Amino acid sequence: MPDLWRVAAHEYRRTVVRRGFLNGTLAVPVGLAVLVVIAILGEIAGEDRRPVGYVDEAGRLTASQPAGPDQIEVRAYADQAAALDALRREELQAVFILPADYRQTRRTDLYYLSAPPANDVWGQFDDFLRAHLVAGLPAEAQTRVLAGPQVTMVDPVSGRSFSESGIINIILPVAASFLFFITTLSASGYLLRVVADEKENRTMEVMLTSLSPAALIGGKTLGLLGAVLTQLASYFLASLVGLWIAGQYVPELARAVVPWDYLGVMALYFLPTFGLLTAVMVAVGAALPDVQQGQQIVGLFNLAFLAPIFALTVILENPSHPLAVFLTLFPTSAFMTISLRWGLGAVPFWQLAVSWLLLIGSALAVAWAAARIFRLGMLSYGQAVRPRTIWAALRGE
Amino acid sequence: MVEVAHLAKRFGATQAVADVSFTVAPGDIFGLLGPNGAGKTTTIRMLLDIFKPDSGTVRVFGGALDLAGKRRIGYLPEERGLYKDQPLESTLVYLAALKGMDEAAARRRLKDWLERLELGEHRRRKIQELSKGMQQKAQIIATLLHEPDLIVIDEPFSGLDPVNTRVVKDILAEQRARGCALIMSTHQMHQVEALCSRIMLINAGHAVLYGPVAEVKRSFAGNAVAVSGQGDFDGLPGVAETRHENGAWHLGLQLGADPQAVLRALLERPGVKVERFELAEPSLDDIFVSVVQSPAAPREAAHA
Repeated sequence: MPDLWRVAAHEYRRTVVRRGFLNGTLAVPVGLAVLVVIAILGEIAGEDRRPVGYVDEAGRLTASQPAGPDQIEVRAYADQAAALDALRREELQAVFILPADYRQTRRTDLYYLSAPPANDVWGQFDDFLRAHLVAGLPAEAQTRVLAGPQVTMVDPVSGRSFSESGIINIILPVAASFLFFITTLSASGYLLRVVADEKENRTMEVMLTSLSPAALIGGKTLGLLGAVLTQLASYFLASLVGLWIAGQYVPELARAVVPWDYLGVMALYFLPTFGLLTAVMVAVGAALPDVQQGQQIVGLFNLAFLAPIFALTVILENPSHPLAVFLTLFPTSAFMTISLRWGLGAVPFWQLAVSWLLLIGSALAVAWAAARIFRLGMLSYGQAVRPRTIWAALRGE
Repeated sequence: MVEVAHLAKRFGATQAVADVSFTVAPGDIFGLLGPNGAGKTTTIRMLLDIFKPDSGTVRVFGGALDLAGKRRIGYLPEERGLYKDQPLESTLVYLAALKGMDEAAARRRLKDWLERLELGEHRRRKIQELSKGMQQKAQIIATLLHEPDLIVIDEPFSGLDPVNTRVVKDILAEQRARGCALIMSTHQMHQVEALCSRIMLINAGHAVLYGPVAEVKRSFAGNAVAVSGQGDFDGLPGVAETRHENGAWHLGLQLGADPQAVLRALLERPGVKVERFELAEPSLDDIFVSVVQSPAAPREAAHA
């Protein structure tokens, strides 16, 4: 097995058995499972399956609706007194009254004892009412009226469409981008710790008597990349399963689709962003004498990667704002900004192309600089490499 | 096996190593000695291609050190260079695999080493859970497991009790017997005397002594005197170190100091009564101290 892969496999195994990694990997699936279970239990335990009654003084409704597997019974009463008596006896959960002037006012009165009916009960009565109101129309017209308006916005530049019913498809990429980024950030932070630690305790020195620096650092980066992908895959699978289960109970979630276009674009940005981050971590870890000082400096770099969070309001209000465009093009913030903008609208192709090229270019440049700083760092145990020395080395002096 | 010629390395304004040359042959245990900060570790790192020298050449196994050559080297740094958060056995197998060993073979050979160094029952424990001495033994196994042809060891006896020190000494002697070349850096001069065939003493980056141990000691005969008597023997001119051992005074002289001048100074000192004054064969410890503390030390004594 080539050294690079041997180091990668070792680093992968070393990372995935860490308690912090296991907790982080399990946290999302377990959290999702808890949410789904709570939602389902809430649906089952809190569901009131008693019928609703109605009194039609306007003469619009003609029959009762029997209870079905997903439907409660809608029971007709001849007058208000009989209906309200049944409500007081708790045979009904609510009573709807269509007054005589309903045709003019479109007003419906609702009676209940302690709590109003759940949204889906409202929805079922609305459907029942609408079906009667359109009963006199031709079948095709009935279908269209009952379906209601479906507004779909199409972006003329990219051809991507956004519909009202796809709100979940807007939220998901935003949530996923945060998850993506937190995972990547924590993994690269771990790389910083590994480099600084191994330099401090001389493990690095022993390793370099067996390997080239490229195989050592490249292997560590690949191993961590594998760990990050494992974590993200577990999140992705857990989300799919969670959405499928929750979709059985929550209709909005059932309409969610996997945002493959988003995942494709993010895959393109993920590797160079990961490369850029890890190169920064290697450089900082090698340049500073211990982990603690490294983490302080890295905090500053992390701000550059997390800048879109501070501009979140601007991006959400206007995804094409000049600040959003700037953050799209700036290498450290490109990944997260595009994630955020993707769910809200189209990102022009030229911005995607330019930001990707800038990201690739800067990742390569920082990796080159990190290699030089790593060599310098090996010369200076117990002390920080001075910025002037780094600058001189980068200029080849 | 190792040829180092005119090696030099500067860090900023500090000349860490200047014009150091030596050779090590198979079956040699070569002692690389010197006070803290003298340039020993920098020399070792240049030898191992961790640092690039500013000038000079290093030839190992007949040429420049490449990856194949690195795999024939076992290196034990002064600090513990092992993954502390990892189990002992898997770490040692991993390090051996990086040296080109088959993992199954490494595991088999490791079993014997762990038993010999009494670490067998700790093989699944994390390295950070082991005592300092156990960690040092683990590091020694990591250095030797792949049966290197060249062993570079920095303070191999650090943290070891007398029993384990003896075990490690025996192991190093075995390695020499099988034709391995060893470069050992340590401050324990009695171990150097017991093990090393040749030494180099580096001070302030310069090689100040180089040669077979016996020759070095012979060349320094007269640089120490044993004195019995009464009175104050401290602070004599030309004396680098004064020790009281077994009822007698041992005076290590500065380089170039005349023992007769020391005797005259003693006799002229009020209250001093000399009963015995004789030239002593200096220990490496004496030589080390006299060379390092002597103001005229570097370079004049470079070729003992």
